[in-house]
Amino acid sequence: MSMIEVNNLVKQYKGAKAPAVDGVSFSVEKGEFFAFLGQNGAGKTTTISILTTTLSKTSGEVRIAGFDVTKEARRVREKIGIIFQTPSLDPNLTAEENIRFHACLYGMCSYSPAFRLMPLAYRRRVTELAEIVGIEDALFKPIKKLSGGMKRKLEIIRSLIHTPDVLFLDEPTQGLDAASRRSLWEYINETRSRYGTTIFLTTHYIDEAENVDTVCLIHRGRIAVCSSPVELKRSLLRHELILDAEDRPALLSELTALGLPFTVNGRVIVPYRESAQDIVARIRTRLSVLRIHEPSLEDAYVEFLNKTERGMV
Amino acid sequence: MSELILVQKKSRLFREINTVAAVAAREITLFFKSPEIIIMSFAMPVIMMVMMGGSLMQNMADGLVFEFGEFMLVGMLVFMLFQVTAMGMASIVDDHEIDFNQEMLVAPVSRYSLVIGKILGSGFAAIVSMAAALLVGFAMGITLPAGKLLLILALSPLMCLASGAFAMIVIGVVKSRKVANFAIMLIMMPQMFLSGAIIPIGNSSGVLLVLCRIMPMTYCLDLTRAVVYAGEAEYESVVLFNPAINFAAIAALTVVCLIIGTFLFARSEKNR
Repeated sequence: MSMIEVNNLVKQYKGAKAPAVDGVSFSVEKGEFFAFLGQNGAGKTTTISILTTTLSKTSGEVRIAGFDVTKEARRVREKIGIIFQTPSLDPNLTAEENIRFHACLYGMCSYSPAFRLMPLAYRRRVTELAEIVGIEDALFKPIKKLSGGMKRKLEIIRSLIHTPDVLFLDEPTQGLDAASRRSLWEYINETRSRYGTTIFLTTHYIDEAENVDTVCLIHRGRIAVCSSPVELKRSLLRHELILDAEDRPALLSELTALGLPFTVNGRVIVPYRESAQDIVARIRTRLSVLRIHEPSLEDAYVEFLNKTERGMV
Repeated sequence: MSELILVQKKSRLFREINTVAAVAAREITLFFKSPEIIIMSFAMPVIMMVMMGGSLMQNMADGLVFEFGEFMLVGMLVFMLFQVTAMGMASIVDDHEIDFNQEMLVAPVSRYSLVIGKILGSGFAAIVSMAAALLVGFAMGITLPAGKLLLILALSPLMCLASGAFAMIVIGVVKSRKVANFAIMLIMMPQMFLSGAIIPIGNSSGVLLVLCRIMPMTYCLDLTRAVVYAGEAEYESVVLFNPAINFAAIAALTVVCLIIGTFLFARSEKNR
């Protein structure tokens, strides 16, 4: 079952010369981890805003969990959780008051003016989630006194407290230190495996999308590529063997004799598509360096941008 | 992770009422966390009652067929409700600036519940200001019977709703706090003079008559005065309309303003 279905989506902002989103189509299955990548201004946030009902579309069809985002916006909102690109917390309230406000708006429990008066289920859930993401000591502090990382963690708790079917993450780790990013992803992955939550991610940290099921690259409002990270890397980049030998001339002669293409850039780099094992087995020169370079998604993304610049995509 | 999972309640009505309560409670919490707003809530009636009201009492009261102090006090009570509620509604612009509106608008609840909650929460500060106005009036030797005060208190949520809905028409489309403050002053000051808060409007005519007839505060004031002057000799010279007409006009204007204001607010947040 598709949790997100987007067909020929167009968004033209008032006064803009070109559409921010121009005929975008894709679908995301239940439980899928989907990454939507692109440069600044490519149309990522516009798309996520339309999908989360906070921005109206110009044309096209968008359905979330089977509900139309325009005609059945309220039903869509029941099914989704969002972490916005910019924090959307009330800085004058405490962390817990922000969560309580959210929980009440989503009909999770009746409103009470104090945490101790809230239902037991709410109190236990909030305390537990706060412990998991490590902000239990900050739960009753004003937002103003929390670090950027703590605020992001709080937003994660808030977005998950109503157990959404689809979680939209719009650059969720922006401004976080490495340790905070890691613990945040551990929690998101745990949530995903436990509840089967569908995740729609936009991020500038391409390594965060390394383990997604599908990655879509958007460029100037249009989908350029949509595939698994492995396929994307395969289509854009070659794997490489990095070699060297005490007798480098002998190695180079042997590679030429074997008909293997190579370049010398500090080390001897031999690109390959099939099996590294087969290549190594054919080389008789004694090697002093042998490494396999597995291209990362970031390498593929950079290559995609380079090809785009050259008009090759 | 706990197996104790909170479940979304199915009842739409429960969710909407809960939303009104949560949004109103947030406004009240913010009120208590902002000493400057509390001080302003008390300072405003002092300035309005002592300076403006006091001056009018000294220079205008002669020759009237009713006691001006009581007339002015009722006007100030209603004006405080209107002014402070409208000023509280301007915090929607603050919420826009800190992106908190996003959080509210993405929730599966009616926009009307969000706006009504905001109005009722802002109304709390307005009622505090109204209480301060009563204290100032008491200090100036102007008092109202306890029974009538309770009736005014009972009517105050309706008046806050009318004021907040009226303010939403302007605030719903404003994106800057500076503009919002100016807009509030722009819609409140004419009401103060044209609705009869401190100056009798029984002889208004022409454009001023039309303006006073389309202002919600006119009917709120008249309804409040109908309550205060009920059974007294001054009733005919002070009260303009039948209370039922006032009530109907308040209800109609509130509903119309609420629909337009909420529509403009939701549209301005969504259509960019």
